[in-house]
Amino acid sequence: MTRVRPGVVIVAALLAARPAAAQDSVFGIRGLGLLGRPISAHSAAMAGGESMFDGSSAVNPASLAAWRGLAGWAVGAQSEHTFNPGTGAVALSSMRFPTFGFAAPVGNRLVIGVNVSDFLNRNWDVQRTDTVMPRDSALPVTDRTRSLGGVTDIRFAAAYRVSSRVAVGLGLHVLSGSVQTGVERDFPTDSTYHSFTQVTETNYSGMGVSLGLFVTPIERVVLGASARFNGRLSATNPGGSASVRLPTELAGGLYVTPWDGVMVATTVIHDNWSVAAPDLVAAGQPPSQDVWSVGVGGEVALLKLFGQVPPLRAGFRWRQLPFPVGTAALSERAVSGGITFSLAHGRANVDFAVEGGSRTAGALTESFTTLLVGLSILP
Amino acid sequence: MSVWRNALLAGLVAAGGCTEKLTTPARCPELCPSSSVQLADTLLTVADSADTTARGYVLTSEATYVAASSLDSLKSLVLLRFAPVKTYWVQTATDTVQAVFPPDSVFAELQVNFRDSTVHPRLVFYRLPAAFDTTMTYAQAQAYFVDSAVLDTVAVPDTENVEARLPISLVPAPGDSGVVSIGARVIADSPTVVAFSSGHSNTTSPALSYFVHGQPPQDSLTRNLADTATFTTFVQSPVAGQPPPGVLAIGGLPAAHSLIRFSLPSVAVDSIGIVRATLILNLVRPVVAFPGDSFFVNAFPILRDYGPKSTLYPDTTVTGEAVIHAGQTGAVKIDIAAILRLWGTTHGDSMPRAIMLGVFAEGFALGELDVQGRSAGGGGPRLDVTYVKKYEVGIP
Repeated sequence: MTRVRPGVVIVAALLAARPAAAQDSVFGIRGLGLLGRPISAHSAAMAGGESMFDGSSAVNPASLAAWRGLAGWAVGAQSEHTFNPGTGAVALSSMRFPTFGFAAPVGNRLVIGVNVSDFLNRNWDVQRTDTVMPRDSALPVTDRTRSLGGVTDIRFAAAYRVSSRVAVGLGLHVLSGSVQTGVERDFPTDSTYHSFTQVTETNYSGMGVSLGLFVTPIERVVLGASARFNGRLSATNPGGSASVRLPTELAGGLYVTPWDGVMVATTVIHDNWSVAAPDLVAAGQPPSQDVWSVGVGGEVALLKLFGQVPPLRAGFRWRQLPFPVGTAALSERAVSGGITFSLAHGRANVDFAVEGGSRTAGALTESFTTLLVGLSILP
Repeated sequence: MSVWRNALLAGLVAAGGCTEKLTTPARCPELCPSSSVQLADTLLTVADSADTTARGYVLTSEATYVAASSLDSLKSLVLLRFAPVKTYWVQTATDTVQAVFPPDSVFAELQVNFRDSTVHPRLVFYRLPAAFDTTMTYAQAQAYFVDSAVLDTVAVPDTENVEARLPISLVPAPGDSGVVSIGARVIADSPTVVAFSSGHSNTTSPALSYFVHGQPPQDSLTRNLADTATFTTFVQSPVAGQPPPGVLAIGGLPAAHSLIRFSLPSVAVDSIGIVRATLILNLVRPVVAFPGDSFFVNAFPILRDYGPKSTLYPDTTVTGEAVIHAGQTGAVKIDIAAILRLWGTTHGDSMPRAIMLGVFAEGFALGELDVQGRSAGGGGPRLDVTYVKKYEVGIP
């Protein structure tokens, strides 16, 4: 029997797989969509505050240095939303798989890994009714426009432990994805009219590189920083093609363990999305804006539960989103919490996280609750 | 509260499986797509090359009905020919051959398809030459529909069957061919039409019933022998023929098809954008049909254009259809959007832009309509197309 190299299988799976975004939102209809959050379930439990230092999150390539052995991880997220468009609250839901990946040490100091996560989420579905006047007769119609898909960020990264206090990382980002936009018009009251359905697929591609750094200046304190430089995001559909300049992302973080079993971390990220504004305006869309994202969270591992001491986590986050709704800026805030259970004598971890929050743009608010379940394997 | 409710929902869903519900009512313009679906109408004069009528797809002798009519617009006489009369029958019980001739009585039985009982229609049956000319005209048939040839006159009842007792002398003596032919004319308080199932009907063909008895000593035995018609037709005046120039005929007997070829702009040929397309045909005279009756006129796309012998597209779901009523005037409107959408597909792109018009079901009813053709100019075939303007999905 021919042996199949595991690496070949993993690379093939990565090329074929397309994770969906962590959350869908009614605001994903604006601009390029809703920004993804490439973080693991246990980082999400800490509101992303620890994502700068988390080896299974794709914020800082140096974070891969946290892995001391082969590791694989995946996250699933069930999200419930409530939105009131002015005609009454609407309950929405979606199931997504925000990120998955693996890492493997090469020698004692080098760790390589791949992380596949959502970059832009363009899932939305809008329905409206109207009355039109074909052939000089009033005719009720129902229009539905659906967008499914987004842009995936496939990060090939390597981290190198320079010393026990310093680690650096380098990542190559391949942006790839597609969006199917379906347009339907039905004539519910007149069967002499045929329904109209059109599906257009738009394909996206782009590249980027990221650099990362960990420094432990003093015991129990770790500083992290990363920079990501993106090229242009190209979009092509049967109607033509266009490209948008993507932002440079600068991020910094602090990770403190004041006592054994207690950790506090924060991550701050800035993206200069305003560089995309000229391209968006040229395409007839409102200009994008620079955005900040802040997450603060912590973990306590003091309570014994089911024969182990699982870390309990909590956090708060706030972020701006770059694509305004009309003239109103869009922002998001959420609180979160979670727990991790260790299985198989520490060879597998199951992370649970719950996040509740809202997105607000002027008078429009969408509330959401997301349950994330992450699985990491450490064979 | 909504956070806790959503958390509970998320937990239940995660435990029970995935759900997907993304549809929201639109909040425009803030949360609406940048493009919207827009309809447009255009009225096209579409037939710009030869349109034509061909007749004979179903002959009068192939129809499922025969009609006796005294209407001003249609006068017709029924002609029936039956299989040779049997000369004997075998009595099963005694295994003896019994001669048939002469029978005790003879009846003609017809199933009525259409009648107007308010005018008290009656049928007058005539003896016809056994081998009458099947191509005879209405005028030629008059020579046989004379008083000296009358067999019987019966009222057409409000039931489905007419039964006429015919004279025994109608039955040929042994040694003859045995073939019996009869004709029927309708008379009534006012002009009317009566239609019967023909020999091509799936229900009841015209039949002759002979009631016979056995020969001594089995002369108490009786038997009913029946022969169905082998040839049924009717002759009519005026004869349905080629319509005058500029007129297209559809239906009637012999059945007519009309072929319309289109020259269409690209906006009228689209696999998804055409939401309604109405072919408008102007009638040149009131629709001819049984009084109070209705029928369908169908438009079929043509796969290969060989004129009257064109091959029709085999998918019967891609047609146009309209209901036509007897005496209808004005315009006939047929929805042919499915055909225009077919022509807009990769599969249908190579098909000729032509349709064949016919009635449904051909040969089952009298229906015929005559419409203005291309040479009628603005009165000719027109196409009212409602379509969705090209929907542009924004990039990026």
